[in-house]
Amino acid sequence: MVALAAAVGREEGDAHDDRPVGVRAEPMILFGVLVGMGGLAAVVPVITRWLGRDTGYVLAAGFLALIGVLTPAVATVPDQDVIEAELPWLPIFGVTATVRLDGLSAVFVLLVLGVGALIMAYCPRYLSVGRHTRTYVLLTLFAAAMLGLVLAADLVLLFVFWELTTIASFFLIGGSGAHSARAATRALVITFGGGLALLAAVVLIIVETGTSYLPDILAQPELILDSPMIWPVGLLLVLAAFTKSAQLPFHAWLPGAMVAITPVSAYLHAATMVKAGIYLLMRFTPVYGGQVAWQAGLLIIGLATAIFGAALALRQHDLKALLAYSTVSQLGLLVAVTGVGTPHALTAAVAHTVAHALYKATLFMLVGIIDREAGSRDVRELSGLRRVMPVTAFLTALAALSMAGVPPMIGFVSKESLFQGLGEADVTSWAGPVAAGAGVAASILTFAYSVRIFRGAFAGPLMQRQLYEPHWQFLAPAAVPAVAGLVLGPGVAVLNPLTISAVLDMAPGVVVPPLVFWHGLSPELFLSAFTIAAGLLLFTVRGRMDRLLQAAPSTPEGMLFDRGFAGAHRLAGWLTRPGDARTPVSHLTGPVVGLVGLAVGALVAADRLPTPAPGTSRALDWPVLVLLVVATIGAALARRVLLALILLGLVGITVSAWFALAGAPDVALTLLLVEVLTAVAAVLAVRVMPDRFPAVPRRRSVVTAGLATVLGLVAAGGTLAFTGHRDRSRAGTYFLQFAEEETGGHNVVNTLLVGFRALDTLGETTVLGVAALGLVLLLRETARRDLPGDDPIVPGPPRQVSNRAVFQVTYRVLAPAMLTLSVYLFFRGHYAPGGGFIAALVAGIAVTFGWIAHGRVGGRVPIIRSLRAAPLVGGGLVLCLLVGLSASLRGEPFLTPTYTYLAGLPVSTSTLFDLGVYLVVLGLVVAVVDRLGGLGPAVAHRFTRPVEPANAGGAP
Amino acid sequence: MSTAIAVGVLVAAGTYLILQRGLVRIAFGFILLGHAVNLVLVASGGLQRRGAPFIGQRPTDEMADPLPQAFVLTAIVITFGITVYLLALARASVGSTEEQADEPSTGPATAPPADDAPPAAPGGNPGRDDRPPRGGAA
Repeated sequence: MVALAAAVGREEGDAHDDRPVGVRAEPMILFGVLVGMGGLAAVVPVITRWLGRDTGYVLAAGFLALIGVLTPAVATVPDQDVIEAELPWLPIFGVTATVRLDGLSAVFVLLVLGVGALIMAYCPRYLSVGRHTRTYVLLTLFAAAMLGLVLAADLVLLFVFWELTTIASFFLIGGSGAHSARAATRALVITFGGGLALLAAVVLIIVETGTSYLPDILAQPELILDSPMIWPVGLLLVLAAFTKSAQLPFHAWLPGAMVAITPVSAYLHAATMVKAGIYLLMRFTPVYGGQVAWQAGLLIIGLATAIFGAALALRQHDLKALLAYSTVSQLGLLVAVTGVGTPHALTAAVAHTVAHALYKATLFMLVGIIDREAGSRDVRELSGLRRVMPVTAFLTALAALSMAGVPPMIGFVSKESLFQGLGEADVTSWAGPVAAGAGVAASILTFAYSVRIFRGAFAGPLMQRQLYEPHWQFLAPAAVPAVAGLVLGPGVAVLNPLTISAVLDMAPGVVVPPLVFWHGLSPELFLSAFTIAAGLLLFTVRGRMDRLLQAAPSTPEGMLFDRGFAGAHRLAGWLTRPGDARTPVSHLTGPVVGLVGLAVGALVAADRLPTPAPGTSRALDWPVLVLLVVATIGAALARRVLLALILLGLVGITVSAWFALAGAPDVALTLLLVEVLTAVAAVLAVRVMPDRFPAVPRRRSVVTAGLATVLGLVAAGGTLAFTGHRDRSRAGTYFLQFAEEETGGHNVVNTLLVGFRALDTLGETTVLGVAALGLVLLLRETARRDLPGDDPIVPGPPRQVSNRAVFQVTYRVLAPAMLTLSVYLFFRGHYAPGGGFIAALVAGIAVTFGWIAHGRVGGRVPIIRSLRAAPLVGGGLVLCLLVGLSASLRGEPFLTPTYTYLAGLPVSTSTLFDLGVYLVVLGLVVAVVDRLGGLGPAVAHRFTRPVEPANAGGAP
Repeated sequence: MSTAIAVGVLVAAGTYLILQRGLVRIAFGFILLGHAVNLVLVASGGLQRRGAPFIGQRPTDEMADPLPQAFVLTAIVITFGITVYLLALARASVGSTEEQADEPSTGPATAPPADDAPPAAPGGNPGRDDRPPRGGAA
């Protein structure tokens, strides 16, 4: 009655857009628990250093402490008092990290923490002596993710935690050696597939309802039910749940996951993670619970899975595999009964979730104990263990009886309510009896395999006499849930406040039947009796049954998946084969041919040849062009590297001249300086290589030449068609008009670089920085290879320069002058050709000159000597970013320049930005000289080889 | 017209080089392609107006479009960065199997590296330092 009243009050609250009155904001508790769990994971590596495998006890205590923290909050849940906490997360999308503890969450939170504490207490005696940091960290992280999953009140948050549990599961499965990789991959791919479905569902729901706040969505089912997305969303949710909870046909990953160590199987793959799918279905029951298609889908798949899993379980000889299929089967029952959706059915779902977690975790732990003690978990090798391990046998019997649904265990209560719930299925008039019948069938098989577990290990003659009862510390974690299963049968009323509250979260406003141990002479009791009788009968004919089951045709587990996976790999290989080649040629031929095709298409579409725009050529262009063409063709055809380099320099100079003719002095100057540095870098790079290019077969040369010519024609045609036919760009005109006014500079190009389009420049500077650091790292490896045990930066000797003294003297005179010029160019950049690039390139040439003269960066000139690539690049980038952020601090867009007058001269933040660019460019040049200039012994050897015999004896 | 010819020749030569063997030629081809693209960019400002865009030096009407010039400045420096990185890659791969296979069998470089097993300290053996490296005269 109280519950009903509370439910009515809740319904009123939920019916409006406002949060229900009973919601309390309790940020400390909920986030505290999540952070506490993360904190536990963080300190695990420290604890394992002290305690080794006994760390599990500390973690168990931590889990229990978290239960203690949550208890006051959980205690108020039956009064429909929901607590909630939120943090801003993605405000643009209206997503907040909201967590919320209601009845349904509370059930799962207690499962996660309670079973978690038991498993953690089980680990120390199960694991071998050692630290096991990885296992403990992953288990704790998994618990944190699972907690987050069941507490999340925001769909995006729910999705994130959902995926985190998958990832933790993957690493925990894959952690037990090479043989587990396949199983781990299978589990990952299948559950990630479901995760993708969940993501799609989340996106669709947010699009349809306009919110990601779960309670609002659940309170207004019509938002989804009346939208065209009702079935896509429903299907995706079901897909996500079925993959996570191992329903047909996605069940294959769960038995495979049994390669993981027993604590993992017990915790993730029996008690908690596989229930996440059930949790998702339960969560969305307020929306979809009334839909016939939803009910039918869950019923059919769930019951099919239940019977299929139970039959396969009965076939297993490996106890762990048996338990895995049993889990598949029980999850099927849960799915089916959740699908029915009546108050009885939902109550049964919650009760059976709890009961299953209790007995299945117990059984896994006990099978682990048997495995450890007897060295096997195959029923064909085990026998008579009850004589040496009576306590283990007793506990196994308790848990197996609970699983079989025998009174007075909690499994009996939950099984009875399952029958009752399934009997209420009303998809069609005959659905109830059929569903209940299927449930009974699965339960008969369950009874049979429950007996099989006990009998397989403990009955019969004793074959391993040297065995003895495990230490009580090993047994205790399994004993607690086993005994709890016994006590909670008659004492099931203890669970009522929580189950009722959880059911009300799934079906607001209904009258929830309390769980009772004794229903009286109800139909369910007769079904239970029938189940037990039929199960016993099945046990008596087990020989025939076994032969029948073993003879049944079967495919190796997961073959369907493995085939599909291999097929996907083949498809991917086929799709990407064109990109799989090793040589640049095969990569580039496609794009080149494609470009030509595009041009031909454009020509056909335009139906006329491109014509030159009037007034775009001047008389002075032609001599430059002739020089350019000759040098370019020569550079392309040269066989000697050095000749190609010289001609390439000539090309650069003519292009630079062309830029000067085109009214771009800044560009011309920059290119000229870059050409000098490129030439130096190229010389440094190629001097360790053969002096001729590698030969290319004649036929290939001809083909590439033909292809190149066609592409050249295309480029020429495109240039002709697209340039000079329009007036100056509007942006360009704007800059010419307002550059001075807005930035105080006269050199419009420079104001663009450091002001208007500074973000471009920042990006470009970053590219340069990356190139410089790449150079440093790339050639550090080379230098190490060449020069073991020596400073890799020690550069190539300047000894090769015969008139080195002349260079050195010239350098000492010129270097200060060049640095001064560099500073001058830097500061005048705002008004005339110059700026950060050009100034840095001039300084870079000074650095290069120093290398030629002295064989190392700087020689004896103080400033240059102390230049190092990494600090220059890093400092420059940081400076650029700081300038950009200073604008943000002023409340203006990133990188907005500002300037003031100092002593009558305008001083702009752009100048500081330009300084950052200067530093990065200089850093790149230093890196080039430093790294490409390095000359290891392999190289020195090459140049000195003729004199080597004379020196051979004198070498140290 | 002149620009179009220049761009065509540069693209053809650059493509030809990129399709050859060896990273150095690919780097060289990349340089040529870079020039071509920069020419196109500047030309896109319209080559009818060719005055340098310095405010106060000439009427605005005669000034070239500054925007493509800024683009090209950025592009030149990035091209430089990529070129030296490509050259560094080529340099780093000296001694790797691919490059060795490409080397002509007649070079002095084919001597086994074991010859210099006790590496001379840099500069510590003046007798070895007389010969200039290739390209040193550039």
